[in-house]
Parts: sequence; structure tokens; C-alpha cells
Amino acid sequence: MNDRGGAEFEVVIGLEVHAHLQTRSKLFGPAPVSYGERPNHSVDPICLALPGVLPVLNARALELAVRASLAMHCEVHHRSIFARKSYFYPDLPKGYQISQYEEPLATGGWVDIPVEGGGDTSTKRVRLTRIHMEEDAGKSIHDDAVAGAGATSVDLNRSGVPLIEIVSEPDLRSAEEATAYLRTIRALLRYTEVSNADMEKGHLRCDVNVSLRPRGSEEYGTRTELKNLNSFRFIEEAVDAEVARQTEILERGECVRQCTLGYDPQTHLTHVLRLKEDADDYRYFPDPDLVPLVLSETEIERVRKQIPELAEQKCERFRTEYGLSEYDALQLTVTRSLADFFETAARAHGQPKPVANWILRDVLQALKERDLEIDDSPLEAESLARLIRLVDEGKTTAKSARGLVPELVERGGDPVALVDERGLGAVSDAGLIEKSVVEVLEENPDNVELYRSGEEKVVNFLIGQVMQKTQGKASPAIVREILERELRK
Amino acid sequence: MSEGVPTLRDLRAALAASEVTSVELVDACLARAEASQATLHAFVGLRPEAALASARESDARRERGELRSGIDGIPIAIKDNIVQAGEPAACASRILEGFVSPYSATAIEKLERSGAIVVGRTNMDEFAMGSSTEHSVAGPTRNPWNLERTPGGSSGGSAVAVAAGIVPAALGSDTGGSIRQPASLCGVVGLKPTYGRVSRWGLVAFASSLDQIGVFTRTAADCASLLEVVAGHDPRDSTSIPESVPSYADALNGDLEGLRLGLPREYFAEEGADPRVLEVVGAAVAELERAGAKIVEVDLPHTRYATATYYLIANAEASSNLARFDGVRYGHRARGAEGLTDMYCLSRSEGFGAEVKRRIILGTYVLSAGYYDAYYRKAQQVRTLLRRDFERAFEVCDALVTPTSPEVAFPLGQKIGDPLAMYLSDVYTVSANLAGIPGMSIPCGQVDELPVGLQLLGPALGELTLLRIADGFQRLTQHHQQSPGASA
Amino acid sequence: MARINREEVERVAALARLRLSDREADQMAAELDAVLGFAESLQELDTSGIEPTSHPIPLSTPRRDDTPAAVLDTELIAANAPQFSDSAFLVPKVIDSETEG
Repeated sequence: MNDRGGAEFEVVIGLEVHAHLQTRSKLFGPAPVSYGERPNHSVDPICLALPGVLPVLNARALELAVRASLAMHCEVHHRSIFARKSYFYPDLPKGYQISQYEEPLATGGWVDIPVEGGGDTSTKRVRLTRIHMEEDAGKSIHDDAVAGAGATSVDLNRSGVPLIEIVSEPDLRSAEEATAYLRTIRALLRYTEVSNADMEKGHLRCDVNVSLRPRGSEEYGTRTELKNLNSFRFIEEAVDAEVARQTEILERGECVRQCTLGYDPQTHLTHVLRLKEDADDYRYFPDPDLVPLVLSETEIERVRKQIPELAEQKCERFRTEYGLSEYDALQLTVTRSLADFFETAARAHGQPKPVANWILRDVLQALKERDLEIDDSPLEAESLARLIRLVDEGKTTAKSARGLVPELVERGGDPVALVDERGLGAVSDAGLIEKSVVEVLEENPDNVELYRSGEEKVVNFLIGQVMQKTQGKASPAIVREILERELRK
Repeated sequence: MSEGVPTLRDLRAALAASEVTSVELVDACLARAEASQATLHAFVGLRPEAALASARESDARRERGELRSGIDGIPIAIKDNIVQAGEPAACASRILEGFVSPYSATAIEKLERSGAIVVGRTNMDEFAMGSSTEHSVAGPTRNPWNLERTPGGSSGGSAVAVAAGIVPAALGSDTGGSIRQPASLCGVVGLKPTYGRVSRWGLVAFASSLDQIGVFTRTAADCASLLEVVAGHDPRDSTSIPESVPSYADALNGDLEGLRLGLPREYFAEEGADPRVLEVVGAAVAELERAGAKIVEVDLPHTRYATATYYLIANAEASSNLARFDGVRYGHRARGAEGLTDMYCLSRSEGFGAEVKRRIILGTYVLSAGYYDAYYRKAQQVRTLLRRDFERAFEVCDALVTPTSPEVAFPLGQKIGDPLAMYLSDVYTVSANLAGIPGMSIPCGQVDELPVGLQLLGPALGELTLLRIADGFQRLTQHHQQSPGASA
Repeated sequence: MARINREEVERVAALARLRLSDREADQMAAELDAVLGFAESLQELDTSGIEPTSHPIPLSTPRRDDTPAAVLDTELIAANAPQFSDSAFLVPKVIDSETEG
């Protein structure tokens, strides 16, 4: 399925990503932003477009939009214009959406996305066309059970929620690249605390433009737009389905028609929602209720200073500062909270590399099994550091400690107490270990002989034997010490 | 009290001297309003209970010596496009039938905070689109000077309510002359402030970049008192000017000495103007000159493009502002619609009158793909030229003096079938809205026993200059004391 | 030649969700043609390089703090709504033959 477009055609993809900005109130009015509230319980006269209301810009929304634009290397303009985009729909109360058109907040910019090629992970730069601010619409629910037959019910709680729209250039060449791009955007929005960017909750939505062109061609083919894809899986499936559909059309020698498509995850097929021939006439014009948005250089620089270290910079630093491999560093910087968790644990423990190993191997596994993010787990970075130190100090074995990670991830707690409680403390009773050592030496005279003749490696085998006798509870360091002492006798 | 119909200042003095109570004033006002409805039809709704209750509170405050302002207890009428919590606001349109506003306009909150009493809502052209108050779902308002004539529009109801002595003051709105032209045709004072001087929060939008709430009174002094109350910065209106409001009323001293008044050549050379109107205006200018003002001739070379520019911009904005009236959340919804689009089309077609539909279609057309640059963008550029004309003029004068309307009140029905002729009755007033500058009309004489208005235009935030000229003129003349025969 | 004909009026009316009778559409085409003819006069002016004016008074957009305020009482919303049930507005469904957007 990776061979999209076959040998003849190249796939060209561009994304329009809508992200809710993390504000308390709406973009142009003070009604609260709330999720999961009863219908129309989070609205005021502005959200309802009552006669006589006027919009006033939310300062926080602007700041977050600027922050996102700067984090994505865009040029933020000193002057931008809010425009009205007109169309009639019941969840669009004013009959127009306040958006930006001719003079958007930010243009240019790029993000680097990880791409796989020849087994290596490298990065690809995806250019951004623009980032602009706009308000969200409400929700229309076409459900007979909710609204009754023949009716649609309209909830305006979402009406006016602040959004940024991030428009990419058609730089993506596969469904995998499209989702890698979206994951990168999501990580950036979360790192910068611009958006929760939760697709399931509709914080992050994505329209995908797909076209095909003969390989080697410079011109773009006719594109279609896939709407309302609300998961990474659907995006991949929908793009693949659409590429297959377009390939078939082109192979028949026919032309792709410009249209808006939906994707049905049941049938794995795309279907035409609307042809673009009746040219959408949105009648954009500058919103006369809002004067030009002016941002000073000082203001833009102030926002720039708020931008935290981003994933790519952190990844680089983890490699140089902690000596981690690129792969490990990438994994640890996927989210800001995981990176912070690692750094806190590494500082508490003192040795970053083993801490990284513990997180990548045991903690992530336990999280994944429970479908949790590090933020959702009560496990504290300091506890993990303490647990690793117990192993270092021989107070428990690595095996026992690893067994405790899932429990710590799920319920938290103090590893020292847990080790005690469960009787997982390493056997450090020298007398008991000495007894086992003596037994092992007696049972393996050949190996003793070998050791004494210079084959010192056999000590590892002997340690293993002792560990077996003590059911793994003996501290390997102490076993080695006693063994070597006995062998030298 | 002075002769004739009492002014706001007269009523204030009478209240202060305990010659009358606010309850009595409001009662009398409501009685006059009721009595005049059959002939004048100035109101679309009265609020007797609420107004009397407020009047009782005002009288109680007066008793306790806790007056909120100089206009505490004074009855005032408001145009049907300014919302007040708990009251209908229909903009004289069927599309807003049954709508009750859950919130108040900033101008209304300011009136209430100052103790003024809103007695009722006045008739208007539907959504303020018109110059005759004939385009109203409630039927036309008549001019008290001659019942066969229109009062002008769109704030005809407010102009008539003041002209006929029903209320001493009223609020209106002016998008292209909707305060000044009816003030002129009804023989009262009407002021359109600088764009952004009075908050538009709660004014149902016609053309957002042109709309301004303003006041009708009988005298310049009353106008100053009321403007002080309703003007000011409002954080709920992004186009509101963040400047404090001067004390207009205190600054009126009647002194016109040395004021430079500009006469725009183009306004007096207007082909369609009634020469008798120009003559009356000329006499008023001579009066001002005798009082010490210096008259200079100025050029506003782009004037002849103003009306076309205005209609393109105003209707483009209107087509968008009126998209919210869709029968979904409030107002008229057609019965028997089959499907969503049908519901939209039927509701809007039943709800809007012919003139509103005409303007929505024109405005939609000029914003639609392929026409935007030729019409809308072009008009916005000409708007810049018109602004520059005024900027240059105000380098050599303090205010401009012009006729308000090219003619006196015209007969009912005369222009209703000819939209273009109706649009041209705004020829002197639209430029001020395009440039955002303040404009005022004051009575300055009569032609055929119908009032003629003198228009004063000033630079942005130059309201005080206009009020001083108007006040100076009224101290020297009696035109503003003339009352129509058909007063209540 | 007419600047705007009846078909054009009907196209624009549909965009604006207005329905006109044949008579209305014809009349409106004539009226709008006259108004647009009048507006033609603007084409005489050379406006190259002239900035358009969207607002008469130069201001930059003010901003408000991100502080949520009270919501509107559902009863007040319901009182104005033509059709309201379970705190949602109800509208007729889009039917297939209708074009949207």
C-alpha cells in the first residue's frame, strides 16, 4: 500500500490544520470556552449574533497565535486584517466567519518532520504558506434521535472558540508524511502550550488536499480536499483511498474534478461531498467592526522570549549534554512532559544514560500498556531515580526493580517502601551468600581449576550459579566479591 | 418656561423648581405620543409602565437630593434600532418580529445611568435604509409641518417626536444622513457625532464603518447636554475612540468671533438643489458672518462621487450585516419550508421589505467574485480621496457650512418607486459618514412653510466647534423656536 | 448593454438567500442597473496607488483580557428562538437537492 500512485504518478499533499487556542474565553467575546457543557450553555449575545453585538479581540488568543507562528518560523506581520467569510449555515450565527484572508497574521515558515528512508530516520522540511486566526463555528447535529426526524439541532457552545489555521505548502508526498507532519505540528502546539491539540476532542482538525501528477512533472494536478478527518489512522486511510481513486481516474485517461470529499472508515472509501464548480463565493471583505491588527516589534519579541526550548533543540541538547543516541533523544523529546520527566530523573539520579534506558525500556512500555501519557501517571521522576539507585547500591536486583515499574506507573508510591514491603531487598547477608559460594565451588571443581589457570571469565558462570541458589535475591556485586576472594584462596 | 414647545433645558428647570415631577412629564409625554399616533405615527412602541416606574424612582432621587445628572427624570425617545434589555427592537422590520433584546446598548445604559427615561421606540425606515421613513413594516411617519409630506429618514420617528413636542430629545442613528436629513426636514437640531464617538454596541448594524448613534433636540444647548451623556469610549466597540468627552454644554458661550467657516463650492453648485433652499442657507451664512465669523470658500473636489461611493460601501456592509437574520435563533421564521435552504429563503424573503432586499442584492453583488475590485475596492479608494478633501479643507477653516438637504420635505410616495432619486436626497450628508467626521443640522429658515436645515461639518472630534456655532446662531435667531401646526 | 440582468440578479439573490418572483427579479434588475450605471462614474477617477479606506478613523484593534464573563440565560435564548428543544435550536434538515455553502 505504500506504492501510492504507482510508478507513473507522484502524490502531492498539502494540509490545512485547525487548532483551538488554549484560552478561557472566546476569540471575539467573553463567553467561556467549555467542552462537554450542555448545548447553548456557553453562549452570550455575541456567540448568538444577536442584533447590535460587536467583536473585541481576545489578547491571549492573539499571543498564542503569535507564539505558534514564531515557533513555526513564520514571519509575523506588523499589520494584519480580519475579514468576513460569508456563507449561510445554521451553526454560523452571523452568516459570516471572522477570519483572515488577504493580510494574515503570519506567512512563510517551516517545520522539520521525521521521515524514514533506507532504515534511517532523517528529517524533511515542510514549508508553511500561512498561519491565520479565525473563530470556530458551532455544531449542527443531524441526528434524528436528537433533533427529531427532518430536523437538525444546533449548539453554539463552540461558536467563537479561537482557532489558528496552519496552511502548508504541497510539500508532502505520502500519507505517512502527512501524519508525520501533523504529529510534528501537534507536538509543537503542545510544547508551546498553544493548544491541547487533542484530535478526539476536536481541538485539532485537519483538511487534506491531495493531487497526483506524472512523475517528474513540475505542475500540480487538480486537487481534491478531504474534510473532517479526526484521527491519524483515518488520515492515512483516507489519503490512500483517495490516491487510489485518483490513480484509477487518471489511468482511465479521465480528469480529476475539483471537489470536497468525505471519508467513510467503514467502507474505506472517499465520497464526493460537494463539487467546487459552483465556485464558492465567500465574498471576503475586511470586517468593518474590527480595525487593523497592529503588532509592534517589541511585542513580537516579547512573545518570542516566551517560546520554550522546542523538541528539535531539546533533542540536540540531550545528545550533546547527556551523550544519548539520536534515537533515544528523539524518543525522549516526543512530548515536553516526557523530556522534563527524563531531565528531572536524570538530575536526581546523577547518571543520565541508565535513566534514559529505564524510561525508554520500562516506563514507556508500562505507559503504553495502560494507554497513558507520562502526565497521566502518578509516577514521579524522583521515585524512578530512587528505584534505579536501589539497584545501583545492590539493595535490590534489576529484575525485581523492573517488576515494580508497572505498579509505580499505575499507582505511584515510594520504591524504597515497596521493595521492603514485598521482600524484594537483595540478599546481602554475607554468611548466607558465602554458604552458597562454597557449595557452588564444591559442585564445579573444573571451573575452579580453569579460573586458577587464568580463565578468569568463568567467574561469570559461577556468579550465575550462586544467583540461582539464592533465587536471584543476592546482590551480584557482593556475590562477585565473595567468589573472587574464595577463588584466590 | 420660554414660549412654544419646552426644551430639555426648560424641563430641567421646571423639575428643579418643583413645578413639575418626572412622573407628570412622562405621563404628559406618553399622552401626547398616544394622541399623535393616528396622525404622525412617530412611535412603533411605548413603554408606559416601565417609563412611569423609572420616573417615580427619579422623583424619589430628586426628593433625596441624589440626582444622577442634569437629565435625570427627562423623557427621551429612541430609534427602533437601538436595543434595550427586555424590550423589542425590530428596526421596523418583519424579520425581527417577536424579538426581545436580552441586553442594552451602551448608549441606553448611559441614559439609564444618568436617570433619563426612555418612553418609547420611534419609527424608521427598515434597518435604517431610506430617507423618508416610508420603508417601515409599521407604515410611514408623517411630517408634522405637513401631513402629506415625509419627515425624511431614516430616523424620521425620532425627528418627528422632537419636532412635534412629544419629547424634548431623542436618539437616532446616522449612516448617510439619517439624523441630519430628517432633522432638516422637521425643523429640529440633529447631530451625528464623529465615527467612534458614541459606542455602536447595541445599535443594530446597517453599515458598520458608517453607522453612528446621535441625538435630536430643539436647541444646540440641549444637544450638548445629551451628547455628553451618550458619548465616550466603550471597550465593547473596537471602533470606539479612546478619548475622553469634553464638557460640551459648559463651553457654549455664543462667541463666533474669528471662527473660519468654509463654504464648499460644490455643495452650492449642486444641480438638483432647490435654489430657494440655497437662498435660505445663504442668508444663514450671512447671519453668521455678521456675528463675526470669517467666511472662506473651499473645494471638496470629489463630492460628486460621494453618493455612488456611499451606496456601494454601505450596501456591501449591509448585505453582510443582515446575513444573521436567518430565522434560526430569533425573529421571523417562515412556515411550511421544505428543507434548510427553503427555510432561509422564505424567511428572509418574507421578513425583509423591498428596499432592504434591493440593498442586500446590490451589496452581495459588489462583494461577489469578479466585481469586488471594480466596485467595492474602487469605492474604498474613492473614500480615501473624499477623506483627503476634508483634511485639506479643514486646514483653512474650522467648520464647513452647507445645506443639509437639497430640498424641503417631499410628498409621501414621491420617491418610493425611484430608488436612485431617493438616494440622491442624501447628496449633502453622505460624505461626513464616509470621512467619519461630525455633522449637524440646525433649522435656519423655511421654504413653502417647510423647514430648511443648515448643515455644519467639522473635523474629527470637532463636535464642540459645531455646537458652539449652532448655539451662537440660535442665540441670534428664532428659527428653532418655530413649531409645526400639527404638533401634539 | 445592461450591467446586470435578471439571471445575474437571481444568482446573487440565491447567494443572499433571497427568493424573488419573476416580476420582482425583472424590476430589481432594472433598478440595480440604474444604480450601477450611476456607480460607473467612479471609473473616471484614477485611483492607482490610493490606499482603500476601510475605517474613517485610524485606530488599531483593541484587545480584551481573556476573562470569561456570564453566559446568557437559556430561558432568554429560548424565548427568542423560533424552535428550541433540549436547549438546542432546531432547523429543518438540508435536503439533498439543496446546494449549500
